[in-house]
Parts: sequence; structure tokens; C-alpha cells
Amino acid sequence: MSVSRPARCLFARASSAIPTAAQPSPMLGRLFSTTAAQCTRRRVKVGSLKASEMGNLVKEPAPVTSNLYKPYTKAEKAALAKRYTPEQIRAIEAGEEAVDTEDLATQGTIRNDPFGLRYVDDLSHRHAVVDKPVRNPESNYDPKMRLKTEREFGEDVTQWFKDLPEEPDKADWLKFKDNVRHYVGKEEAERAPVNYTAPKINKFNDPELRYHKAGDETDPQLLRLMQQTGLSEMRIKRLRVKNLVRHRVVNQTRMGKVASMYYLSVAGNGDGLLGIGEGKAQEAEDARKQAEMAAIRNMQPITRYESRTIYGEVEGKVSATELKLMARPPGFGLRCQHRIFEMAKCAGITDLAAKVTRSRNPMNTVKAAFEALKSQRRPEDIARARGKKFVDVRKVYYGGQV
Amino acid sequence: MSLVNLSHVCSHIQNASKARLGLTSVPSSNLILALALSLQKSGFISNVKRGGLEPPPSLSGQALPFSALDEEPVTQQNIASRRLWLGLKYWNNEPVLSKMSMVSKPTRRVWMNAEDLSKIVRGRNAGYVKGLTKPGECLFVTTDQGIMEARECVRRKLGGMLLCRAF
Repeated sequence: MSVSRPARCLFARASSAIPTAAQPSPMLGRLFSTTAAQCTRRRVKVGSLKASEMGNLVKEPAPVTSNLYKPYTKAEKAALAKRYTPEQIRAIEAGEEAVDTEDLATQGTIRNDPFGLRYVDDLSHRHAVVDKPVRNPESNYDPKMRLKTEREFGEDVTQWFKDLPEEPDKADWLKFKDNVRHYVGKEEAERAPVNYTAPKINKFNDPELRYHKAGDETDPQLLRLMQQTGLSEMRIKRLRVKNLVRHRVVNQTRMGKVASMYYLSVAGNGDGLLGIGEGKAQEAEDARKQAEMAAIRNMQPITRYESRTIYGEVEGKVSATELKLMARPPGFGLRCQHRIFEMAKCAGITDLAAKVTRSRNPMNTVKAAFEALKSQRRPEDIARARGKKFVDVRKVYYGGQV
Repeated sequence: MSLVNLSHVCSHIQNASKARLGLTSVPSSNLILALALSLQKSGFISNVKRGGLEPPPSLSGQALPFSALDEEPVTQQNIASRRLWLGLKYWNNEPVLSKMSMVSKPTRRVWMNAEDLSKIVRGRNAGYVKGLTKPGECLFVTTDQGIMEARECVRRKLGGMLLCRAF
């Protein structure tokens, strides 16, 4: 790089009027870079080669059309005549005539030349992801387009009425209804407007659709649970499962004390399903699994009012544990002890009050609460049993908006 | 007008329902008859008929309903043996009347005005009486216009003595 170059660049505009040998081209004008202009860069002079000059890289067998596609013989034609009607035979013959056998041989094959596609594709269809979308031309746009006035519509209808044939039928009206224009302006602006949005891609909207690796095996217990409940693995994993009671129990045998772990679990989908299950095993993990699966297997629908609370007041009793669950207004929350709270969460109840009277044994509390939730009676059923008419006035007065 | 008999009637109907009986009898008196009729009006029981020691033929399946045989006149000879025969109802394998208990007791009667009754009906407590919080719970009140349900009392702005609650 010479030192004189930058200075020359500075004076480039001034000196551009006088073409000199240093300036490569009058078209470039002023040069601010010390790099040589592109057109002055040296290029390797390699002429482009024709495919024939490169030699036969891909050996393509010459299509032998005469052997591949022979016309029907007389015997074949007779056999065809047995199966098809003369009209169909004529159609077949027309088809045979229309397609050139050479085209079939040259184009009806899978390309294996370097420019052929590396995958098999039906190019007669457009693929929304891969292919460029077909769009209406921008010239279709009409800035002066406006909606027709009522008067203009009236004129259209009058014109249509005048043009009606002697005996009009329903198809005339439908044709008019489908083809009548709503806008004034370019016709194609209404019929084929320019649209820049991407074409719609078809999606697999299946939440169960998942990629599975080979060798992915589900736990046999889980598999059994899936078969018993008919729930998929995804669904089971999404369930809300809580272990509410856990303690050690001992069986006194002749041989000595055999200790096990006891678990009591609740399961629910958070939307009206609730179940409880017990499990007991020498290993805590086994007991927990047993209890959780029993709870999922035991899930049953819980009646809920407005999907948030219970119907009125219900009582449950298991052994010496007695409890009362009470419906509460929206926004009240779950004001109850933690086990009943978890059960309400699992069942999808958001407003509830509870009072455990008498014994508060944790195991029996959970069982009694489950009994109480199950023992709800729906007002519709009560009305039906008593032979009364029943109307939810909130639905009547507020149009079901409550 | 002792409430002892009425208490017995309440317990008896509740027990009969638990035992899944189709038909039961209670002593015949004006108070019990009036209560039975209001129970029928509320849909808790299907039939109320006066009969003897045996149920009326239509209720026991020996005659058609509204049969003339049912109308055995009450005479001085048979009045002591008259009883009320009640048809009990069941729905979805559950008794329609599952619980019936007294509010007033023979030793402590409870009266209430329409204002307090309206609180009870809306599920609030009034005095020592708990509100009607269970779905479909009914409270029967005896007023100077006869025995009626608490909601009916509120509608008519009537007070009275609380008899029993049923659901």
C-alpha cells in the first residue's frame, strides 16, 4: 500500500474531472478505500464449461421407448372389452394417444442427475412451509375501493330482476347472491385481494402426540394403571397427587415385629375429579407408589357448584371423626385444615369452609371429607325426587352470565 | 297439643325411610294430619290416607287409587283405631325424606316471627335455631293459618311455632 494513495483519495473528487491512468474508471467517482476497485481485481480466468465438455459424469441410460410402452395387442383389447364398456374403451384409447411414450420414458422416472431433488416430492402440490406462496399481484390493489351504498345495491337487484328469465328458479338467486359485488372499484381488488399473510400451515393439534425414543419403556405398574384407567401417561403425570398421611405401622408376629410404612394419598385433576388411596409396604417408596396409584384408580367426579364450591352443607363421618363442609361465596378461599385444603385443591374447589368436630384423626379426616364430598345431592335431583319444578333464577335473570 | 306424639312421628317416619318401607302408619290427629299434608305438598311423601289398623285398600294394592272402598266413615266406634297411612318416596335408591327432626321440643317450644324466619330461610342462624343450609331442607311452622313451610310463612309474612325440619 503506498502512502500517496489516501491523499489521492482525498483529492479524488477534485481530480475526477480529469481522467488519469491512476483512476480505474470514471464511473467509480471518488474512492475512499485503499482497496483496489472490484473491477480491477485480478480474477482467475476460467471459462465456463459445457456439460458435454466435462464428460459424462452421470451415466443416463438412453430411454428405449419402443420396448417399454407397446400399444395394446388385439388379444389385450379383447380382454379389455370384456371388462369395460365401449365408452370406457374409447376413453382409454384416447388417453393412450394423448400421452407421448417418449415423455413417459424421459419424465416419468426419478431423476438421479446432480440437480435432481435429494428427496421424493410431489411437485404438483404446494407445500405451505417449503414452497413460495402464490400471491395475488399487487396490481390488484385499488386504493379507491369503497363499499356500495344502499342505492347502488338496489340498482344491482333491479338489474338482476330485469335480467331474470321467464321461469326463475332458486339457482338464479343463489348465483346472484354469490356473484354480486359489495364494493365499487377494481373487480379483482374485491375478488382476489392482495394478501401478505403467510399461508396456513396444518398442525397436528394432538397433545398426546409425542416423540418416543426406542428403548423408552414405561414402568409396568404405570402401564397397568394406564390400562385400568384408560388415561395416557401424560394425563396421569398432569394429575395433582398429594401424600397426606404417612406413618409407620408394626405387625406383631410370632417371629417378632414387622414394620411397614403406611401412606394415604389423594389425587385429582383440579377440575372435579378426586380420589383417595391407601398403600402399605415395607419399603416407603413402594407404599407411596401404591397409595398414589390407588388414589388415581379411585378418582370419581365430585359435584361442584359453579365449579368453585359445594352444594350447601354436607357432613361426613368415619369412626369418631365427624366433619362439616360448608359452601361459601366466590373469593372466600379455602378456610379449612391443610388435609381438606389439599383435597379441595385436587378436586378444583376454591371456596370452602370446614369444621372437624370430635376426633381429628388425620386418616379418618381425609376419608370423612371424601365421604362428605361424595354425599352431596344436587338440587336438580332433589327437585326431581320431590316432583317439583326447579329453576336456577340466576341463570334466568342474568342470562346465564353469572 | 303435646309435641311428644309429633316427636314420635318424626322418628318413626325417619326410621321407616331408613328401612325402605313403602307404606307406614302414624297416629291420627289434626296436628299430625296437617303436618303430613304439608309434607305431601312439599313432595316428601306420596300419599296421606286415613285408615284403620289395616292400610286402605288402594294403598295396600287391593283396590284402584281413589277407590270408594277407601272412604270408611269415621264413627264413634272406630275413631280410636283410626291411623294415618303415609306412602314414602324413594328416588335413585335413596329415600326422599332422609332426615326429620323436631325443632320445638315438648319441654321447650320455639316461636319465631316472619323476620327471623326469613333469616333462617336464607341460611342464617336466628336465635338458637340453625339456618336451612342443606340443599332442599324444609322447616315446618304452625301458624294461625295452618301448618306450612317456612318459605311460605316468609312469603305471607307470618310467624309461628317451629315444628320440625326435614330433608
